[in-house]
Amino acid sequence: MIGAVQKLLTSSQMASVAQNTTQSVAIETTLKSIGRPGFILIDNDIDSDTKQYAAAKEFLYQATCLAVYMALIVPVFKKGGFKLAKEKLFKNTNGFEHFKDVGEYLHYRKLADNPSIQNRQATLEKEVIATKDKVKDKYNATLLAELKKENPEKFAYVKGAVELSNIIGSVLGLAILAPQVSHVFIHPALRILGLEKKDKKPENQTQKLDTKA
Amino acid sequence: MALADIIKRTCKKLGENNKPTYVVMAIATVKGICRPTFTMMDKKENPETKKYTALREGLTEVIAIPAYWACGEAAGALAKKVFKDKALAGRAEKNLMFMGVCIAALFVIPGLCSVAIKPIMDKMGLKAPEDKKHSESPQIPAQIQNTYTPAPTNPLPHKNTFPQMQAYTSRPQTGLRVGGL
Repeated sequence: MIGAVQKLLTSSQMASVAQNTTQSVAIETTLKSIGRPGFILIDNDIDSDTKQYAAAKEFLYQATCLAVYMALIVPVFKKGGFKLAKEKLFKNTNGFEHFKDVGEYLHYRKLADNPSIQNRQATLEKEVIATKDKVKDKYNATLLAELKKENPEKFAYVKGAVELSNIIGSVLGLAILAPQVSHVFIHPALRILGLEKKDKKPENQTQKLDTKA
Repeated sequence: MALADIIKRTCKKLGENNKPTYVVMAIATVKGICRPTFTMMDKKENPETKKYTALREGLTEVIAIPAYWACGEAAGALAKKVFKDKALAGRAEKNLMFMGVCIAALFVIPGLCSVAIKPIMDKMGLKAPEDKKHSESPQIPAQIQNTYTPAPTNPLPHKNTFPQMQAYTSRPQTGLRVGGL
Protein backbone atom coordinates (compact mmCIF):
# COMPACT_ATOMS: atom_id res chain seq x y z
CA MET A 1 0.00 0.00 0.00
CA ILE A 2 2.74 2.45 1.04
CA GLY A 3 4.76 1.36 -2.00
CA ALA A 4 1.83 2.10 -4.33
CA VAL A 5 1.33 5.57 -2.82
CA GLN A 6 5.06 6.29 -3.13
CA LYS A 7 4.99 5.12 -6.75
CA LEU A 8 2.04 7.41 -7.49
CA LEU A 9 3.65 10.40 -5.79
CA THR A 10 6.92 10.00 -7.67
CA SER A 11 5.36 9.01 -11.01
CA SER A 12 7.05 10.76 -13.92
CA GLN A 13 3.81 10.63 -15.97
CA MET A 14 1.90 12.47 -13.27
CA ALA A 15 4.74 14.99 -12.97
CA SER A 16 4.47 15.69 -16.70
CA VAL A 17 0.68 16.24 -16.33
CA ALA A 18 1.33 18.56 -13.37
CA GLN A 19 3.81 20.57 -15.47
CA ASN A 20 1.47 20.74 -18.45
CA THR A 21 -0.82 23.77 -18.26
CA THR A 22 -3.57 22.49 -20.57
CA GLN A 23 -3.89 19.09 -18.91
CA SER A 24 -3.82 20.46 -15.38
CA VAL A 25 -6.40 23.17 -16.20
CA ALA A 26 -8.70 20.61 -17.87
CA ILE A 27 -8.49 18.32 -14.82
CA GLU A 28 -9.04 21.23 -12.45
CA THR A 29 -12.11 22.46 -14.39
CA THR A 30 -13.56 18.93 -14.36
CA LEU A 31 -13.09 18.79 -10.57
CA LYS A 32 -14.72 22.22 -10.22
CA SER A 33 -17.74 20.97 -12.19
CA ILE A 34 -18.13 18.22 -9.58
CA GLY A 35 -17.14 20.08 -6.40
CA ARG A 36 -19.09 23.32 -6.74
CA PRO A 37 -22.51 21.81 -7.63
CA GLY A 38 -21.88 19.18 -4.93
CA PHE A 39 -21.41 21.79 -2.23
CA ILE A 40 -24.51 23.67 -3.40
CA LEU A 41 -26.55 20.45 -3.17
CA ILE A 42 -25.44 19.70 0.41
CA ASP A 43 -26.15 23.25 1.62
CA ASN A 44 -29.04 23.05 4.10
CA ASP A 45 -29.81 26.78 4.08
CA ILE A 46 -31.25 26.74 0.54
CA ASP A 47 -34.59 25.20 -0.49
CA SER A 48 -34.44 22.18 -2.79
CA ASP A 49 -35.68 23.92 -5.97
CA THR A 50 -33.12 26.71 -5.67
CA LYS A 51 -30.39 24.18 -4.89
CA GLN A 52 -31.23 22.14 -7.99
CA TYR A 53 -31.30 25.25 -10.16
CA ALA A 54 -28.05 26.70 -8.79
CA ALA A 55 -26.22 23.34 -8.97
CA ALA A 56 -27.35 22.75 -12.57
CA LYS A 57 -26.33 26.30 -13.52
CA GLU A 58 -22.88 25.91 -11.94
CA PHE A 59 -22.36 22.52 -13.60
CA LEU A 60 -23.36 23.88 -17.02
CA TYR A 61 -21.07 26.88 -16.53
CA GLN A 62 -18.04 24.70 -15.76
CA ALA A 63 -18.93 22.27 -18.58
CA THR A 64 -19.12 25.20 -21.02
CA CYS A 65 -15.75 26.47 -19.76
CA LEU A 66 -14.18 23.06 -20.37
CA ALA A 67 -15.72 22.73 -23.84
CA VAL A 68 -14.60 26.23 -24.91
CA TYR A 69 -11.16 25.60 -23.48
CA MET A 70 -10.62 22.26 -25.20
CA ALA A 71 -12.18 23.25 -28.53
CA LEU A 72 -10.78 26.73 -29.05
CA ILE A 73 -8.07 27.74 -26.65
CA VAL A 74 -5.85 24.65 -26.56
CA PRO A 75 -5.28 24.25 -30.32
CA VAL A 76 -5.09 27.96 -31.12
CA PHE A 77 -2.72 29.05 -28.35
CA LYS A 78 -0.54 25.94 -28.27
CA LYS A 79 0.23 26.07 -31.98
CA GLY A 80 0.11 29.86 -32.31
CA GLY A 81 2.32 30.50 -29.30
CA PHE A 82 5.02 28.11 -30.51
CA LYS A 83 4.99 29.59 -34.00
CA LEU A 84 5.16 33.16 -32.70
CA ALA A 85 8.02 32.36 -30.32
CA LYS A 86 9.98 30.39 -32.97
CA GLU A 87 9.67 32.96 -35.74
CA LYS A 88 9.47 36.34 -33.98
CA LEU A 89 10.77 36.19 -30.43
CA PHE A 90 13.58 33.62 -30.53
CA LYS A 91 14.18 33.69 -34.31
CA ASN A 92 15.00 29.97 -34.54
CA THR A 93 17.51 29.97 -31.65
CA ASN A 94 17.61 28.52 -28.09
CA GLY A 95 16.45 25.09 -29.28
CA PHE A 96 13.59 26.20 -31.53
CA GLU A 97 15.72 25.39 -34.60
CA HIS A 98 15.43 21.63 -33.87
CA PHE A 99 11.61 21.47 -34.03
CA LYS A 100 9.16 22.11 -36.85
CA ASP A 101 6.06 22.35 -34.68
CA VAL A 102 4.82 22.03 -31.12
CA GLY A 103 3.81 18.36 -31.56
CA GLU A 104 7.37 17.43 -32.46
CA TYR A 105 8.77 19.18 -29.38
CA LEU A 106 6.19 17.62 -27.01
CA HIS A 107 7.05 14.15 -28.36
CA TYR A 108 10.77 14.77 -27.83
CA ARG A 109 10.11 16.13 -24.33
CA LYS A 110 8.10 13.03 -23.42
CA LEU A 111 11.04 10.84 -24.48
CA ALA A 112 13.55 13.04 -22.65
CA ASP A 113 11.48 12.82 -19.45
CA ASN A 114 11.70 9.02 -19.56
CA PRO A 115 14.53 8.09 -17.16
CA SER A 116 15.39 4.82 -19.00
CA ILE A 117 17.73 5.25 -21.99
CA GLN A 118 16.77 1.76 -23.20
CA ASN A 119 13.08 2.64 -23.29
CA ARG A 120 13.87 5.82 -25.21
CA GLN A 121 15.87 3.91 -27.83
CA ALA A 122 13.13 1.29 -28.14
CA THR A 123 10.57 4.02 -28.83
CA LEU A 124 12.87 5.61 -31.44
CA GLU A 125 13.09 2.30 -33.31
CA LYS A 126 9.29 1.95 -33.54
CA GLU A 127 7.42 2.52 -36.78
CA VAL A 128 4.91 5.31 -37.34
CA ILE A 129 1.81 3.49 -38.69
CA ALA A 130 0.62 6.30 -40.95
CA THR A 131 3.93 6.99 -42.75
CA LYS A 132 5.74 3.64 -42.20
CA ASP A 133 8.82 5.69 -41.17
CA LYS A 134 10.72 5.08 -37.97
CA VAL A 135 10.17 7.50 -35.06
CA LYS A 136 13.86 8.46 -35.06
CA ASP A 137 13.58 9.74 -38.65
CA LYS A 138 11.75 12.79 -37.30
CA TYR A 139 14.70 13.88 -35.18
CA ASN A 140 17.99 15.43 -36.27
CA ALA A 141 21.42 14.19 -35.14
CA THR A 142 21.63 16.63 -32.20
CA LEU A 143 18.35 15.43 -30.71
CA LEU A 144 19.23 11.75 -31.23
CA ALA A 145 22.57 12.32 -29.48
CA GLU A 146 20.82 14.08 -26.59
CA LEU A 147 18.41 11.17 -26.15
CA LYS A 148 21.37 8.83 -25.64
CA LYS A 149 22.54 10.88 -22.63
CA GLU A 150 21.43 10.18 -19.08
CA ASN A 151 20.20 13.76 -18.63
CA PRO A 152 19.21 14.99 -22.09
CA GLU A 153 18.70 18.65 -22.87
CA LYS A 154 15.03 19.56 -22.38
CA PHE A 155 15.05 22.96 -24.07
CA ALA A 156 13.57 25.06 -21.29
CA TYR A 157 12.94 28.05 -23.56
CA VAL A 158 10.77 26.00 -25.92
CA LYS A 159 8.82 24.41 -23.07
CA GLY A 160 8.45 27.83 -21.40
CA ALA A 161 7.14 29.45 -24.59
CA VAL A 162 4.52 26.70 -25.00
CA GLU A 163 3.48 26.98 -21.35
CA LEU A 164 3.37 30.78 -21.38
CA SER A 165 1.09 30.81 -24.44
CA ASN A 166 -1.05 28.14 -22.77
CA ILE A 167 -1.33 30.23 -19.59
CA ILE A 168 -2.33 33.31 -21.61
CA GLY A 169 -4.86 31.19 -23.55
CA SER A 170 -6.25 29.66 -20.36
CA VAL A 171 -6.70 33.05 -18.73
CA LEU A 172 -8.35 34.59 -21.79
CA GLY A 173 -10.50 31.54 -22.42
CA LEU A 174 -11.67 30.78 -18.90
CA ALA A 175 -11.93 34.29 -17.48
CA ILE A 176 -13.17 36.27 -20.50
CA LEU A 177 -14.46 34.10 -23.36
CA ALA A 178 -16.15 31.23 -21.49
CA PRO A 179 -18.42 33.45 -19.31
CA GLN A 180 -19.72 35.16 -22.48
CA VAL A 181 -20.37 31.84 -24.24
CA SER A 182 -21.98 30.31 -21.15
CA HIS A 183 -24.25 33.38 -20.80
CA VAL A 184 -25.73 32.56 -24.23
CA PHE A 185 -25.85 28.79 -23.71
CA ILE A 186 -26.86 28.26 -20.05
CA HIS A 187 -30.41 29.70 -20.02
CA PRO A 188 -31.71 27.71 -23.05
CA ALA A 189 -30.07 24.58 -21.55
CA LEU A 190 -31.79 25.18 -18.20
CA ARG A 191 -35.12 25.63 -20.03
CA ILE A 192 -34.59 22.30 -21.85
CA LEU A 193 -33.90 20.64 -18.48
CA GLY A 194 -37.14 22.15 -17.14
CA LEU A 195 -35.37 24.17 -14.45
CA GLU A 196 -36.24 27.58 -15.89
CA LYS A 197 -39.54 28.86 -17.30
CA LYS A 198 -39.81 30.72 -20.58
CA ASP A 199 -42.16 33.57 -19.59
CA LYS A 200 -42.42 35.04 -16.16
CA LYS A 201 -45.60 37.10 -16.84
CA PRO A 202 -48.18 34.27 -17.10
CA GLU A 203 -46.73 32.73 -13.92
CA ASN A 204 -47.33 35.98 -12.02
CA GLN A 205 -50.88 36.17 -13.36
CA THR A 206 -51.79 32.66 -12.17
CA GLN A 207 -50.28 33.38 -8.77
CA LYS A 208 -52.44 36.47 -8.42
CA LEU A 209 -55.59 34.56 -9.43
CA ASP A 210 -54.91 31.77 -6.96
CA THR A 211 -54.25 34.15 -4.09
CA LYS A 212 -57.69 35.68 -4.64
CA ALA A 213 -59.33 32.24 -4.83
CA MET B 1 13.42 45.27 -26.27
CA ALA B 2 12.94 45.18 -22.52
CA LEU B 3 9.57 43.49 -22.95
CA ALA B 4 11.12 40.80 -25.14
CA ASP B 5 13.74 40.15 -22.45
CA ILE B 6 11.06 39.84 -19.77
CA ILE B 7 9.13 37.35 -21.94
CA LYS B 8 12.32 35.35 -22.61
CA ARG B 9 13.15 35.20 -18.90
CA THR B 10 9.58 34.17 -18.10
CA CYS B 11 9.78 31.44 -20.75
CA LYS B 12 13.02 30.10 -19.23
CA LYS B 13 11.55 30.08 -15.71
CA LEU B 14 8.34 28.39 -16.83
CA GLY B 15 10.29 25.88 -18.88
CA GLU B 16 12.42 24.90 -15.90
CA ASN B 17 9.63 24.80 -13.36
CA ASN B 18 5.99 25.39 -14.26
CA LYS B 19 4.22 25.17 -10.91
CA PRO B 20 0.58 24.06 -11.16
CA THR B 21 -0.35 27.00 -8.91
CA TYR B 22 0.75 29.61 -11.47
CA VAL B 23 -2.01 29.07 -14.02
CA VAL B 24 -4.87 28.60 -11.53
CA MET B 25 -3.86 31.74 -9.63
CA ALA B 26 -3.60 33.71 -12.89
CA ILE B 27 -7.07 32.52 -13.96
CA ALA B 28 -8.55 33.34 -10.54
CA THR B 29 -7.00 36.83 -10.55
CA VAL B 30 -8.34 37.74 -14.00
CA LYS B 31 -11.73 36.15 -13.17
CA GLY B 32 -11.87 38.20 -9.96
CA ILE B 33 -11.52 41.38 -12.02
CA CYS B 34 -13.48 40.48 -15.18
CA ARG B 35 -16.53 38.62 -13.84
CA PRO B 36 -17.69 41.42 -11.50
CA THR B 37 -16.95 43.99 -14.23
CA PHE B 38 -19.11 42.09 -16.76
CA THR B 39 -21.87 41.75 -14.18
CA MET B 40 -21.83 45.49 -13.43
CA MET B 41 -21.93 46.25 -17.17
CA ASP B 42 -25.17 44.27 -17.63
CA LYS B 43 -27.84 46.88 -18.38
CA LYS B 44 -30.83 44.51 -18.07
CA GLU B 45 -30.31 43.62 -14.41
CA ASN B 46 -31.39 45.90 -11.56
CA PRO B 47 -28.57 47.72 -9.69
CA GLU B 48 -29.10 45.94 -6.34
CA THR B 49 -28.89 42.47 -7.91
CA LYS B 50 -25.84 43.54 -9.93
CA LYS B 51 -24.05 44.83 -6.82
CA TYR B 52 -24.80 41.65 -4.87
CA THR B 53 -23.79 39.28 -7.68
CA ALA B 54 -20.60 41.20 -8.55
CA LEU B 55 -19.43 41.28 -4.94
CA ARG B 56 -20.18 37.59 -4.50
CA GLU B 57 -18.21 36.71 -7.65
CA GLY B 58 -15.31 38.91 -6.55
CA LEU B 59 -15.26 37.38 -3.05
CA THR B 60 -15.21 33.84 -4.49
CA GLU B 61 -12.01 34.59 -6.40
CA VAL B 62 -10.50 36.50 -3.44
CA ILE B 63 -10.95 33.29 -1.42
CA ALA B 64 -9.72 31.09 -4.31
CA ILE B 65 -6.33 32.81 -4.87
CA PRO B 66 -4.83 32.26 -1.38
CA ALA B 67 -6.50 28.83 -1.14
CA TYR B 68 -4.79 27.62 -4.33
CA TRP B 69 -1.44 29.03 -3.20
CA ALA B 70 -1.66 27.65 0.34
CA CYS B 71 -2.84 24.16 -0.69
CA GLY B 72 -0.23 23.89 -3.47
CA GLU B 73 2.71 25.14 -1.42
CA ALA B 74 1.76 23.13 1.69
CA ALA B 75 1.49 19.92 -0.31
CA GLY B 76 4.78 20.69 -2.10
CA ALA B 77 6.57 21.32 1.19
CA LEU B 78 5.35 17.96 2.47
CA ALA B 79 7.24 16.20 -0.35
CA LYS B 80 10.58 17.69 0.74
CA LYS B 81 10.07 16.33 4.24
CA VAL B 82 8.94 12.83 3.19
CA PHE B 83 11.43 12.07 0.38
CA LYS B 84 15.14 12.28 1.10
CA ASP B 85 16.33 11.47 -2.46
CA LYS B 86 16.60 14.75 -4.41
CA ALA B 87 15.30 13.45 -7.76
CA LEU B 88 12.32 11.71 -6.15
CA ALA B 89 11.61 14.71 -3.93
CA GLY B 90 11.57 16.99 -6.99
CA ARG B 91 9.04 14.83 -8.81
CA ALA B 92 6.96 14.29 -5.69
CA GLU B 93 6.91 18.04 -5.05
CA LYS B 94 5.36 18.69 -8.47
CA ASN B 95 2.86 15.85 -8.08
CA LEU B 96 1.82 16.82 -4.56
CA MET B 97 1.52 20.46 -5.56
CA PHE B 98 -0.82 19.43 -8.37
CA MET B 99 -2.81 17.27 -5.93
CA GLY B 100 -3.01 20.22 -3.54
CA VAL B 101 -4.45 22.40 -6.31
CA CYS B 102 -6.98 19.67 -7.18
CA ILE B 103 -8.04 19.34 -3.53
CA ALA B 104 -8.40 23.12 -3.34
CA ALA B 105 -10.65 23.12 -6.44
CA LEU B 106 -12.71 20.13 -5.32
CA PHE B 107 -13.15 20.71 -1.58
CA VAL B 108 -11.37 23.67 -0.01
CA ILE B 109 -12.63 26.55 -2.17
CA PRO B 110 -16.32 25.47 -2.44
CA GLY B 111 -16.28 24.69 1.29
CA LEU B 112 -14.71 28.01 2.29
CA CYS B 113 -17.08 29.90 -0.02
CA SER B 114 -20.20 28.25 1.39
CA VAL B 115 -19.00 28.96 4.96
CA ALA B 116 -17.53 32.45 4.56
CA ILE B 117 -19.40 34.33 1.84
CA LYS B 118 -22.85 34.61 3.47
CA PRO B 119 -21.58 36.04 6.78
CA ILE B 120 -19.32 38.50 4.93
CA MET B 121 -22.22 39.65 2.74
CA ASP B 122 -24.44 39.98 5.81
CA LYS B 123 -21.79 42.06 7.60
CA MET B 124 -21.60 44.33 4.56
CA GLY B 125 -25.36 44.73 4.75
CA LEU B 126 -25.94 43.06 1.39
CA LYS B 127 -28.70 40.49 1.19
CA ALA B 128 -29.64 38.29 -1.75
CA PRO B 129 -32.36 40.05 -3.78
CA GLU B 130 -34.78 37.13 -3.14
CA ASP B 131 -34.15 37.32 0.63
CA LYS B 132 -34.85 41.02 0.61
CA LYS B 133 -38.16 40.50 -1.17
CA HIS B 134 -39.21 37.90 1.40
CA SER B 135 -38.24 40.06 4.35
CA GLU B 136 -40.00 43.12 2.92
CA SER B 137 -43.26 41.33 2.00
CA PRO B 138 -46.21 41.94 4.39
CA GLN B 139 -46.71 39.34 7.09
CA ILE B 140 -49.36 36.74 6.25
CA PRO B 141 -51.55 35.65 9.20
CA ALA B 142 -50.42 32.31 10.61
CA GLN B 143 -53.77 30.61 9.95
CA ILE B 144 -53.63 31.40 6.22
CA GLN B 145 -49.96 30.49 6.05
CA ASN B 146 -50.71 27.01 7.34
CA THR B 147 -53.54 26.23 4.94
CA TYR B 148 -52.12 27.87 1.79
CA THR B 149 -50.31 25.68 -0.70
CA PRO B 150 -48.98 27.21 -3.91
CA ALA B 151 -50.97 26.71 -7.07
CA PRO B 152 -49.68 24.36 -9.76
CA THR B 153 -47.20 26.17 -11.96
CA ASN B 154 -48.80 25.21 -15.25
CA PRO B 155 -52.61 25.05 -14.83
CA LEU B 156 -54.78 23.79 -17.68
CA PRO B 157 -56.39 26.52 -19.80
CA HIS B 158 -59.93 27.50 -18.75
CA LYS B 159 -62.14 26.21 -21.52
CA ASN B 160 -65.52 26.27 -19.75
CA THR B 161 -67.17 28.19 -16.96
CA PHE B 162 -67.06 25.39 -14.40
CA PRO B 163 -64.44 25.66 -11.68
CA GLN B 164 -61.52 23.29 -11.99
CA MET B 165 -60.55 20.71 -9.41
CA GLN B 166 -57.12 22.33 -9.06
CA ALA B 167 -58.68 25.53 -7.75
CA TYR B 168 -59.65 23.68 -4.57
CA THR B 169 -56.37 21.96 -3.86
CA SER B 170 -55.46 24.66 -1.36
CA ARG B 171 -58.34 23.67 0.89
CA PRO B 172 -57.48 21.82 4.07
CA GLN B 173 -57.90 18.10 3.50
CA THR B 174 -59.12 17.37 7.01
CA GLY B 175 -62.38 18.10 8.88
CA LEU B 176 -65.91 18.53 7.55
CA ARG B 177 -66.11 19.32 3.87
CA VAL B 178 -69.26 20.99 2.52
CA GLY B 179 -70.26 20.19 -1.06
CA GLY B 180 -69.25 17.42 -3.37
CA LEU B 181 -65.62 18.42 -3.91
